[in-house]
Amino acid sequence: MSSFPGKPRLNYNRRQALGIGLAGCACVVCGSANAATLDYGLKAEEIAPGTFGVFGEREYFTFANGGNIVNTAFIAVPDGVVVVDTGPSKRYGEQLKALIDHTLPGKRILRVYNTHHHPDHFLGNQAFERAAIAAPQKVIDNIEAEGDAFADNMYRLVGDWMRGTAPVSPGTAIDTDGEDVGGRNFTFFRLSGHTSADFAVRDDETGLLFSGDVAFLDRAPTTPHADLARWREAINTLQSADIATVVPGHGPADPAGRSFIQTRDWLDWLDGTLRDAVSRGLTENEAMEIPLPARFAALNVAPGEYRRSVVHFWTRLEDELLPEIEVDRK
Amino acid sequence: MNTGWKTIVRGAAILVVSLAAALPAAARDVPADPLKSVMWADMAERFLAGGDIVFDQRVRVMAPRSAEDQFFVPVTVDATRLPGVTEIVVLADLNPIPKVLAYRPVDAEAFIAFQIKVEQATVVRAAARTADGIWHVGGTHVDAAGGGCSSPAMAHGQANWMATLGQTRARVWRETRDVARMTVRMRHPMDTGLADGIPAFYLSDLEVSNGTGRPLASIDIYEPVSENPTFTLKPRIGADTAELDVEARDTEANEFAYSLPVPDPKVAN
Repeated sequence: MSSFPGKPRLNYNRRQALGIGLAGCACVVCGSANAATLDYGLKAEEIAPGTFGVFGEREYFTFANGGNIVNTAFIAVPDGVVVVDTGPSKRYGEQLKALIDHTLPGKRILRVYNTHHHPDHFLGNQAFERAAIAAPQKVIDNIEAEGDAFADNMYRLVGDWMRGTAPVSPGTAIDTDGEDVGGRNFTFFRLSGHTSADFAVRDDETGLLFSGDVAFLDRAPTTPHADLARWREAINTLQSADIATVVPGHGPADPAGRSFIQTRDWLDWLDGTLRDAVSRGLTENEAMEIPLPARFAALNVAPGEYRRSVVHFWTRLEDELLPEIEVDRK
Repeated sequence: MNTGWKTIVRGAAILVVSLAAALPAAARDVPADPLKSVMWADMAERFLAGGDIVFDQRVRVMAPRSAEDQFFVPVTVDATRLPGVTEIVVLADLNPIPKVLAYRPVDAEAFIAFQIKVEQATVVRAAARTADGIWHVGGTHVDAAGGGCSSPAMAHGQANWMATLGQTRARVWRETRDVARMTVRMRHPMDTGLADGIPAFYLSDLEVSNGTGRPLASIDIYEPVSENPTFTLKPRIGADTAELDVEARDTEANEFAYSLPVPDPKVAN
């Protein structure tokens, strides 16, 4: 990288507000969401004793799914409940809270973790007590910088499901490698690569790892804020940790670590394909027509995510791979 | 009876004369827009002067159905299946400034790629004019979040952006025996004049010649082209063409000139 320093940090709020595009993630449909009543139809699936996953659709944001394309989770600890991520809207947050109350009646929510600042993971924060919501400072900073723009764009993408939603940043900054919550110990992984700040949490009792979007499974990874080299490092870090089962940010629970292998495979293929395309002089539109390898056929929304990723990386790769030319100025 | 007959004849004559007067001799029959853009008639009148207009599938406009980034919407226009193209005009109907560029492939394939800013969801179309004066129009619809044309360029977030103006990355490939593919990327804010307090300032002309001064391609560039514009063109070359020369100019009369090496055909690419 020399003459074009990639995409600089933006200084303009309006530009920030507008420039986010379709950032964020994607998946949905269990067919359970009801757009008429704005009922997400959330279901708690017990994935370990006292540990419940709420699995979203493996889709894009749509008016039909209301943005429920994400996995959230909650864990019964001896003295209360721990929640991981809060979903795409105030309404989702409220319905998640109701589901927790229904599933674990009488238990108080002691802690809510946000794994990163993409809208489907934190826009339900409004439903929870702010002081209980925790994330590393950099995640909080990202939410405060881009949360409004994400919320605006989500209104555009899913409409009325978002009514009343406003971004709430976590009230507690995490700077430790773990904590005890209500008699249960959690280990923290402060990472980056999917975004500039990713946060994964392991429940030391069950060995369940809530990976956020560092790992996807059977749903193509999203890359609007990705740094591929760091993302691969983050996967390595989690892969070498002592864990029983991965609950990825998108896709089913993964006892075999398949999500790490598949996510890395996708990122490696994407990186190689785009570098080759730029080096051959293809246009972005031509690169978008490159067919995906057959092994990715099982990944939901792979063609669409690939085309989005072309845009995410293209100018950066042109700056890196096209030779710099001496210019005669007059 | 006689008088009545005369009256009828006279009436008919007047009618014929009036009808003829009501129809300007040069009126064009502008065909209905298959993309149903509300701005189509206006686009045809303002930007596609003279000549008949036909919608033609040989003018292919490639653009994403949904823009991931409204500041950088990639567009490739490929009219290489249409013989005799002299000019390609690119329009974004619902942009506040609809005209994106006019490309004259003097001795080049009718092919150009670039990125544009869009202010809202819009039809993006290309009109390729052939030597007989007919406009052949193709297009596609791009959905987008708003504001691409009325926000400050990223450059204005950096104190030293003027120092890097015109910095260029570029490369030429040999695509076939007679055709090169060249991509140039020049650093420029491409200010539209629609962001608060920032006047229009954009790269306005880019010309490619073959190293001995013979013109190959020429682009008139307008405000909607994205910041740090990238163009991919396909100039025609010979086996002995060793370099392509580029001259570019912006609206403040800054001039930028550079030469790009063409790979030797024996060791091509």
